[in-house]
Amino acid sequence: MIDSLRYEYLRLRTIRSTYWLIGLALSFQLIMTMIIAWQMSEADNPPSGDNAFDVLATIGASTGFAPLFIAYIIGLLGVFSTGHEYRHGMIRATLTALPSRSMVFAAKIISTGIVSALAAVFCIGIALVAGLVFGLDRPSTQEVLDMTLGTVLFTVLFALSGLAYAAITRNQTAAVALLMLLPSVVEQIIKAIILAIKSSSDDPRGTGGLVQVLKYLPYDAGGQMYTRASFDDLLQIFGVVPFGALGGGVVMTVFVGSLLAISYALFLRRDA
Amino acid sequence: MALIRADGLGKSYGSTRAVNDLSFEVRPGSVTGFLGPNGSGKSTTMRLMLGLDRGEGRTTFDGKTFGELTHPMRHVGALLEAKPFHPTRRARNHLRMLAVANRLPDSRVDEVIDLVGLSTVSAGKPKKFSLGMGQRLGIAAALLGDPDTLILDEPSNGLDPQGITWLRNLLKHLAGEGRSVFVSSHLLQEMAVLADELVVIGRGKMLANGAVSDFISHSSLGAVEVRTPDRTVLAPAIEALGATVVQEGDRLVVSGATAEQIGDAAHAAGARLHQLTTRQATLEEAFLEATGLSEEFRGSQVGGDS
Repeated sequence: MIDSLRYEYLRLRTIRSTYWLIGLALSFQLIMTMIIAWQMSEADNPPSGDNAFDVLATIGASTGFAPLFIAYIIGLLGVFSTGHEYRHGMIRATLTALPSRSMVFAAKIISTGIVSALAAVFCIGIALVAGLVFGLDRPSTQEVLDMTLGTVLFTVLFALSGLAYAAITRNQTAAVALLMLLPSVVEQIIKAIILAIKSSSDDPRGTGGLVQVLKYLPYDAGGQMYTRASFDDLLQIFGVVPFGALGGGVVMTVFVGSLLAISYALFLRRDA
Repeated sequence: MALIRADGLGKSYGSTRAVNDLSFEVRPGSVTGFLGPNGSGKSTTMRLMLGLDRGEGRTTFDGKTFGELTHPMRHVGALLEAKPFHPTRRARNHLRMLAVANRLPDSRVDEVIDLVGLSTVSAGKPKKFSLGMGQRLGIAAALLGDPDTLILDEPSNGLDPQGITWLRNLLKHLAGEGRSVFVSSHLLQEMAVLADELVVIGRGKMLANGAVSDFISHSSLGAVEVRTPDRTVLAPAIEALGATVVQEGDRLVVSGATAEQIGDAAHAAGARLHQLTTRQATLEEAFLEATGLSEEFRGSQVGGDS
């Protein structure tokens, strides 16, 4: 296992995409948090420390009106972790250096998890610094811990789902498309269809029936880990009662865990 | 020194049998050439040997499968395809990455870079490499662990004549040190001077396995040329041996009998001999004869009867 981890560590260190993806995420976070923090500081009624920190840390995703952008960037690290192996014919070189497929797969999961978690933590740190620079109220320690945990977990799970898509499809382009489109388009289409059906049903405000499905849309559910006041709250008139941070996190974890289990089984079975 | 033993290798793609019950050995101290037409299953066989493809059979390296080897690059060096590296990872870093997985020092990376002649470009990105340079980097990766065994799929692809000569000398040298070298190639003239043993397959099946000299001498394209002023006496005597006699100009070309048998037959028949020359088939002729019906992809002959 140590050898596989050393291999993955050097693989990540010696490729440009690692640097430009993390650099892009941190740069985006820095620029956006500075702009938002400046605007907040200029407001007549600046938000509370917790609210300001939530918005800064997630660049507005905590409101439920925007996706967690850094997850989309850092998630590509997960796609590239496996996608590069197939896109550039590296998989055979990798498996002749490290024949244990289980160890190779585990090392990819661990390295992707650690790097995406660290990148997400840095983004949170930038948000804290931006709030301090512009003199916003300090957030409570509890809120910092909760938001950090939610954001980091979501980002790690998001990146691991990218890794799984690349391992399942063995096609980097397809994996990128899946990672970008499933949360931002497919889940929204499903949500729209279900709400349309629900609104025209005999009991448009009931909490039972088809709307229960919406609780299990994995990326939407996972988003509960960092959203505080969500657009989904407005949907409660249709009986939509999403899981909270814990339940949503569990749904996303089960989904990503299932994807990883499928991709691992295929990785063991398939020709390299 | 590692003995490679492949036993019952098999692989199907849907209803197509790509490799069918292949068994052979590659002995230490020899270069074993792996020959077969395009699509005959050579690359698939090599991947099966290394556990990269899922199939039937078992290949051992001194009794252990590839997956059972600790730090396998120290035991088996493999080159399976051209340019198996990320185009923007520097050549030296590519080798460092493989080395670290097998606990090999960076100094070994520099050694193999020197050995394959890539020192001046080792800090460069392989996307700018020619096919030959990429092949040299692949060979460097195969040699990284100073392995007892080399499995190389078309290593001379893209190499210039100097590169081919360098590779031939290198592989002969490595075999001379007692290593097992298993190498596929389409360059039959090159294989004729490089290989000691051959494994020849067609449509995934074994066609021949043994010493190169035996493979060539068993070809029916080998013949004995005879010049004699007593053709009318000698030809029937040779045909009585079960051999085939064809007249080419002032010579008889005999297939299916040795020079000794023809000499004895001439003596018995009272025929005078002015020339008796054994003409060996080339490896290319023997290969084409052995694989004639096993070509997966066959083009038509330009200007011929197709």
